[in-house]
Amino acid sequence: MLKNRVKELRARYGLTQSDLGKQVDVTRQTIAFIEKGEFSPSITLALKLAKSLQTNVNELFWLEEDGNEK
Amino acid sequence: MKNDFRLQYPLWMMGFIVVLGMFAYGISSPVTEIVNTDTEQSIMIELEPVAGFIVVGTVVLYVAMLATFIFQLLRHNRKNPTQKVSPFSIRPLEYLEQDEGMTYITRKASQKVYTFMSWSLPLLAVFAMVTPLPRLFIVWGILLVALIQYVIYYVEIRKHFKEEVE
Repeated sequence: MLKNRVKELRARYGLTQSDLGKQVDVTRQTIAFIEKGEFSPSITLALKLAKSLQTNVNELFWLEEDGNEK
Repeated sequence: MKNDFRLQYPLWMMGFIVVLGMFAYGISSPVTEIVNTDTEQSIMIELEPVAGFIVVGTVVLYVAMLATFIFQLLRHNRKNPTQKVSPFSIRPLEYLEQDEGMTYITRKASQKVYTFMSWSLPLLAVFAMVTPLPRLFIVWGILLVALIQYVIYYVEIRKHFKEEVE
């Protein structure tokens, strides 16, 4: 399952879902879906999110298997 | 987003289908008399009072709903100039495709509808062939399938918008 730190990093930079959505050119709902883990973004969107949140994709997204957490 | 016209569109369609079902009942129960003799040819269709009331009532209701629907659609287009919808579009108006997240939930909802349609339509066709049902019941069956497809689509989409947090 794909896990992410979008919500955590977004909060760190004081961004709302709408703010982040505008920065990466998606709707607020799509940011919410990603944060909830309902939707796995494309590589393009993942790269844009990582850039906006000043991190890299590996730090932002990771796979969690059988209880092994990052 | 919750008040987006495209989210409400399935509800509109459900409403139109229900009114159409009532209208079908109204027009399927008239007394019809056909006279065809050497001296006279005439067709007389007489609506019973209740059926007549249903027909007139549903037509009035349908026109009122249609006017409100068009008003809402125009308002949506005015407020969302980049995401205009056209009532004459072949693509269903309820599709949300402004980004990949929206496309994803639209695809999920559409898949559920397709799954339903893939068995309900053949089942309905078989049912209509093997049972001596009046035409009204066949029409209601088709409308019921159409209604359920919108319910499935609407419930699936709403599920994703339920817990919106900023």
